[in-house]
Amino acid sequence: MDLGRRTLLSPMQNDFETVGVLGGGEDEVSLLEILDHVLNSGVVIHGSLVISLAGVDLVYLGLNVVLTSVETALSNLQIEEKRRQK
Amino acid sequence: MSRILAYCGFRHAPELVLPALGVTAVPVQLASYGELGLLWSEVEWPFDPERMQKSAVEFHGVVHHVFRQTAVIPFRLLSVFDDRPAFSAFAAQNQEQFLEDLKRLSSFVQMECVIYPAPSRPQVDRSSGKAYLEQKAVAMRSSEGFAQAMRDAVAHLSSEARVREAKNGTRIFVLVERGRENDFRQAVSAVAVPEHLSRRMSGPWPAAEFLSEQVKMPESAGAK
Repeated sequence: MDLGRRTLLSPMQNDFETVGVLGGGEDEVSLLEILDHVLNSGVVIHGSLVISLAGVDLVYLGLNVVLTSVETALSNLQIEEKRRQK
Repeated sequence: MSRILAYCGFRHAPELVLPALGVTAVPVQLASYGELGLLWSEVEWPFDPERMQKSAVEFHGVVHHVFRQTAVIPFRLLSVFDDRPAFSAFAAQNQEQFLEDLKRLSSFVQMECVIYPAPSRPQVDRSSGKAYLEQKAVAMRSSEGFAQAMRDAVAHLSSEARVREAKNGTRIFVLVERGRENDFRQAVSAVAVPEHLSRRMSGPWPAAEFLSEQVKMPESAGAK
């Protein structure tokens, strides 16, 4: 489970940036929001996912693990954003 | 080992311009089931965890390429099918419901607002259980009040709104007519943010929060 968390969360927190979504400069969202949406919004097939562990085994992670992790990351991001604004 | 990665469903029309490449730069394929179009790629599975973030952005790029032009039903990243027959069986089984949702949501996008405790808010009083609960109740009322004020402010733009409590705040999802995103932003900006709370807006997004339950969690055959 830790592998999934490291893989998904560490890069988000370190590389936070805004990216254009709809082409125009005004429609910008954070990378973290994109990750939140692609993982947490839309059609769920079986509600679980598979990630390789050390390139050998497959590990099933309940989708809730990812949901929780992304929310935690969003919370951390908000604090970071605030700090940067000061 | 390869799998079928589904990106999104939409009402197919000849004038739509579809993306050529998807996650890990593999070709994006179109599968048509009557009016329903589904984009998919054959991908190496499992994904390399080291490029998960990049894959997520590429996935988003495919979905939004179509969403810029029409309403879409996005799949969640990391949901894959065993093979083409499994994917086709899924499409045949859910085609009707997908099309119903796409018709219902055809002229809308989803706008979002998150309200969350400001980092600069006073420390939580943990001196007693009562004080803690009182403080929490005040924060909740404040958040609920904002959510209601926001819903009122965008009522003229919106056919539907949903509020969901998340771990880090309150998320408000609003179904807005495509093209009126700026009206939404202006209306929300005009609502005063309660003390000790912060607000963040985003969108437009595909109207995933407003999909029917059968589409959000459909029957599937051979999916992983």
